[in-house]
This record gives sequence, C-alpha cells and structure tokens, in this order.
Amino acid sequence: MIQRSFGESETVDFVIVGTGAAGGVLAQELATAGFDVVAMEQGPWQHESDFTHDELALERELAMMNRAFEPNQTFRTSAAEPGRVTGARGLLYRRAVGGSSVHFAANYWRFRPVDFQERSLWGPIGGTAFADWPITYEELEPYYTKVDWEIGVSGAPGPFDPPRSRPYPVPPLPNKSSGVLLERGARALGLHAQVAPMAILSEARQGRLACQACGHCAYYGCEFGAKSSSLVTTIPKAVATGRCEIRADSTVHRVETDARGRATGVVYWDKAGTERRQAARAVVLAANGAETARLLLLSASAAFPDGLANSSGAVGRHIMFNGYAYTNGRFEHPLNEYKGAVASRIVHDFYDADPARGFYGGGGIDARFPSGPIAFAVDGLPPDVPAWGSEYAQALSDYYTHTVRFMSHLTSLPVPTNTVTLDPAHPDRFGRPGLCLTYQEHPDDLMTRLWFVERTQELMEAAGATHVWNQPVLPLDGGLHLLGTARMGNDPRDSVVDRYHRAHDVPNLFICDGSSFVTSGRGQPTMTIQALAFRAAEHIARFARAHEV
Amino acid sequence: MPLTPSTRRAFLADAGRAATVAWLSLELSWLGSLEGCTREDANSGPYTGLTPAETRAMEAFAAQIFPSVHGAPGAVELGAVRFVDRALREPFFARSVPVVRAGLADLDARARALDGRRGFAALAGERQLAILRQIERSDFFKAARTLVLTGVFADPSYGGNRGGAGWSMIGIDHRPSYTAPFGYYDAQAGAGAARGSA
Repeated sequence: MIQRSFGESETVDFVIVGTGAAGGVLAQELATAGFDVVAMEQGPWQHESDFTHDELALERELAMMNRAFEPNQTFRTSAAEPGRVTGARGLLYRRAVGGSSVHFAANYWRFRPVDFQERSLWGPIGGTAFADWPITYEELEPYYTKVDWEIGVSGAPGPFDPPRSRPYPVPPLPNKSSGVLLERGARALGLHAQVAPMAILSEARQGRLACQACGHCAYYGCEFGAKSSSLVTTIPKAVATGRCEIRADSTVHRVETDARGRATGVVYWDKAGTERRQAARAVVLAANGAETARLLLLSASAAFPDGLANSSGAVGRHIMFNGYAYTNGRFEHPLNEYKGAVASRIVHDFYDADPARGFYGGGGIDARFPSGPIAFAVDGLPPDVPAWGSEYAQALSDYYTHTVRFMSHLTSLPVPTNTVTLDPAHPDRFGRPGLCLTYQEHPDDLMTRLWFVERTQELMEAAGATHVWNQPVLPLDGGLHLLGTARMGNDPRDSVVDRYHRAHDVPNLFICDGSSFVTSGRGQPTMTIQALAFRAAEHIARFARAHEV
Repeated sequence: MPLTPSTRRAFLADAGRAATVAWLSLELSWLGSLEGCTREDANSGPYTGLTPAETRAMEAFAAQIFPSVHGAPGAVELGAVRFVDRALREPFFARSVPVVRAGLADLDARARALDGRRGFAALAGERQLAILRQIERSDFFKAARTLVLTGVFADPSYGGNRGGAGWSMIGIDHRPSYTAPFGYYDAQAGAGAARGSA
C-alpha cells in the first residue's frame, strides 16, 4: 500500500507519537474522521514476512525490545540512591511500528466496573495515590465493544463478565490441555474457569488468516497476521484513508511549544540521525508509559520548567506494572503447551479485593506455558531436579511437554515514589538522558502475590499434577505493562490529563496510552488502552471540528 | 498462486529470516555475524574462537552438562560447542569471554593438580564430575552452562541443535503450525470442549 506522505513544510492536523496499541487506534480514527495525520515511530516498519521463531534473538536477547537499543537503562529502589545499570527487568517495550502490540500475548480482558471506582469502594490506602477514574465502565463499554469488532477479539461470555453490548465477533480459540486442566482444578474447588478472551482470530476475518497455532505469540510477531496487533488492524486502515503517514525510524525527543503555551509540533531524529521537525495543529502522545513520560520531561522549557504538562508533578509518577505470581505443575500425559495461543482458559473468582484477606489486591489466573526450549533448559525445571548431567537431560525430556503454569495477573498500587525519570548520567545513543526506573513494591502488592501463589498451588493440586512447584515471589523490578505515569483526573493539581485525555496545562496536547491509567486493573491492560484510545479519538475529533484544540 | 498457510509460512520463514537479520545487523552486530552460521560451512571448518586446548575442555564440559542419554545425542553431538565457538567471537558475548576462557583454563589446572600432566578432557568421567561439583556455583559454570544449553536448543542456523535434534529430544514435534487437539487432555476432552462449549 502506498501511503500519503507529508512534506517538511506542511503543518498537519495531528502528529501522533507512537504507533502501538493506542497510537494505531488514534491514527485510524483521526484519519478516518478526515484529519491529516503523521504518526511517528522510533523503530522500523516490519511486516509479517519479517517475523521468525528465533528464540535466541527474540525471547532471550529481546532483539526488538528497547533494551537492545538502550542497554543502559537504570534502576533503583529509592530516590536516595543513584540509578544503576543492573540486572533488573526494567521498562520493557517494543520499538517498531505496531509497538508492543506486535509481540503481546494478546490477553484481552476488559476491566470491570469495580476497577474504575475502587478508591470509593475500598477507601484510602497508605503510601499510595489510590484514586477513582474520572470515567466509569458504563462510559467505556461502547469502546470496549468497538475494540472487539474493529480489531477482532475471540472469546465467549463468562460468569463474572461485566455487561457487554454485543457478543464477541469471533468464537473462542481451541481449548488447550492447560485449559482443560485449569477447568478440572477449578471445578474441584468450586471455582469457575471461563474462556480466555484473546485478540487473535480463530477464523479468517477481513482478509486476515485464522490462528495457525504455531505457539509463538508472546515476544514474537505473528507471521500469519492472525494476532490482532496494530500492525495488521488499525495501521493499514489508517494508511488506507490516504490522510495518514506512518513515519518509521523517527525518534521524537521534544514537543515544541509557542509563547502562548500551545504545542506547535515535534522535533525528531530521522533514521540517519538528522534532526527534523513536524509541525501540527495538535499533538497526541501515545508512546507508552515510559516514553510518554520521558518525552514530557524532555520537553521542559522556561514556561514549563518541570516538564511539559507537569504542573501537577504527576508526570512519570505512580508507575504500575501489574504484579504476577505462578505455580508450575507436571502432569502424567503430554500437554504440548508449545502449540497454540498463550492461554485458553482463565479463572476470575478472585478478581475483587476482599477486606477479609487483610490487604488490598485482586486478580485473575490463567493457564499457560510461556517458555521456549532455551528458557526451559536454563531454568524451567523444578528446584529438586539436578541442573545438569544425565538426570537433568532425562528430566528435560520428561518435563518439557508435560509442564504447565497457572499464573496470576494482579493489581499494582499507584505509589507516588515509584517513578520514571530522566537519567543524564546514562545518555542514550543520541545523547539524550536515559530512563531511570525507581520502584519499590507496595506491601499490599507483595501480599497479593503471596496470597495468589497459594491459590494457584491449590488449583494445580486439584487439577491432578504429579509434581507441583511454586515460582519464588521476588520483589518486582520492572515489566511490560507501563501504566499510570500521566494519569487521568478531574483535578489539575493531581493529574496530567482530563477525562478527555487533554493535558490540563496545554490545550492542544492530548495523551492517551498506558500512562493514562489511574489504577492498574488486573493484569491485562491492552484492551483498556485501546478502548480509551477509541473514546479519546472521538472526543479529540469533536474538539477539532469545533475549533476547540 | 495461492499458498496454504503452512507452505506460505515455510516460504516466509526463509525470506523473513534474511530480512529481519538484515535490519538487526544495523543495531546488533553480533546477530548479523552469527547469521554467518547459515553459510555452508556452518558445521565444518576449524574453530576460531576457542583454542584447541579450550575446545577439548569445552567439549568435555558440554558432555557433562548435557550428556547423551539412552543413545540420544548430547550437547557435543548436537553441535553446541561449535555454537559456543562462534558465540565467543561475537561482540554481544564479549563480557563472557574472559570468564569462559579463565574458567576453561581453571578446569585444566584443577585436572593437572589431580594427575600432574593432562587436562580436564583426559580425566575419567567421575573425576570430571568431582571438579564440576566444586565449581557449579561459579560465574564461569553459569555462563558456560547457559552457552551450552543455548547451543543445544537455539535455531539450527546458529550452528548448534543440528537438524533440530535438540527439539526432537525433548518431545517437540517441530512444525511451522499445528492443529488442535494439541495434547492428551484436550484430545480427551473432545471436540465439544475444544470449541469452548464445555
């Protein structure tokens, strides 16, 4: 497809920074609404034919992830320490057109009504900025449904689902052995396994192939185009309007503002490292919870000394990753979990927080086996099996196809001292300050993980595993879900954007991605990121038509 | 000509691999260099990362980490040492090189301390095991073990996992795509459950 391209001297209606889960939706919707759009992406534009199953490059060395480009990201547990390059997991995301939606596992859980009003329902929590969202589930529901039908989400209703206005557009993916066993364990305990909603096509749709069950979703791009990433859903539709240019290999490092405090466009480095500008009537940031915060902080000026749109001081604060915990089990017969999508069944009986537990937290559980053979060989066997030698070699054969993981995906609390900040001592290859993650898990988050590992152990035992071992719960030091660093809110004193994703401080700057989250939800944020983006696009287009940007 | 998904994918796998690596090599020179392993000499020719003495020690080490069991190939037969030889020449593994070289020399030194002259590779299996048990918490052991296991299970184009035999050994039926049922339990649960109506 030949895409529209805009010249350097042209002022477009919108420049969008980021082409991932949110950026793709915003580009599609704003271009479809008739606006001229340039969407900037710091990574390359890859296609299905570029994707492989190379575990060493993609899963072990994360070749398409930011850490391959910026290995010097720093970590610390409090602002009293200097940031250090450590073995911490850190802030992980893809740098390529389609963003992290290219390599996501495609779990597409909706939030529930409770997720938007939990501060009112639960009360305050010490050491946190726990707050209600400025919107409700009911307001977002039409946009969740829009995501289902626009990109293609497979699934079937479950007993704890929030209300939905339309059924799933695509039936569920095949149940895997892991799903059958999770159902078995849940039944034995009086719990309720349900179909996992996945952004993967179970049947051909809109010119795209159905899932071929190759088993390479998380960390991999889908060479069949069956995974509903931005790369094969919203971005082609945006380009097809003839009003949208996807500008790959273009690293935005500053949002420019004029004397009136309005955004005028962005400054970026092109593939050759040459500095260029793109002027726009309005700027939309959708660069993820790490990069959006960095860009706002890098865009400080005399008028915005603490960073653009940061009069609240909330930019970069409250980062949340979603805690996790899991139990492994070996079964008598082969499951062959290396085939198929990541998960086919989930258990949502423990979604709500319960004061009887003595701490705040809740989550969902799925059955999965995300280890490629290298990862499994290096550290996938139980701790009581030798780590080398003939018994080890035999155990790899006995365990690889027989093993499954019951994994919890959990709340993380918004803690003001958990931050993404600039680290001038560790510049990136362009010379701009690197990213520093400061993170210390809230005690309730840790308690939640410890509580859930007991639940997954019970489920694994009830499912009939012959060998059960828990993954040790270690302090969280990063992750792939980058949430909360430019939170929504009605009060400009403690939030960055309003309920329409407009920056409180800059009338023609909009921010919509994981950074907009007020609370973390239960583990699977991308569905909500995209629902927010569809809703934001509708309002942004409305403002633009009314000359209110 | 319409391609079935699996033939299409098989075609894409070759074309895609070349394209991905062409781009990656701009940023990650080690991957681009490792890609040299797809040349015809991938599994032949002299070692150039490891010296002959290091090669002998590494082969003995790899054979102890992942030995041949019940006639199945072990790490050495699968080409893991050739993978290690290549990996050690790549910038990405540069940090591991001094650790691995010193560790291999240390294995030989410990062997000579036992019998005076010969290196680790010449020791009887039981004596090799005794030495490895002494060092299994060392940085060398961890780095070298990970390298050997990566050589056993990485894509064969990197020089190890010959013919995908490492995958076969642990029960992987290596194909570009699969159809349900995938395993014993979903097959048992039957077609009804497989479509989500259970």
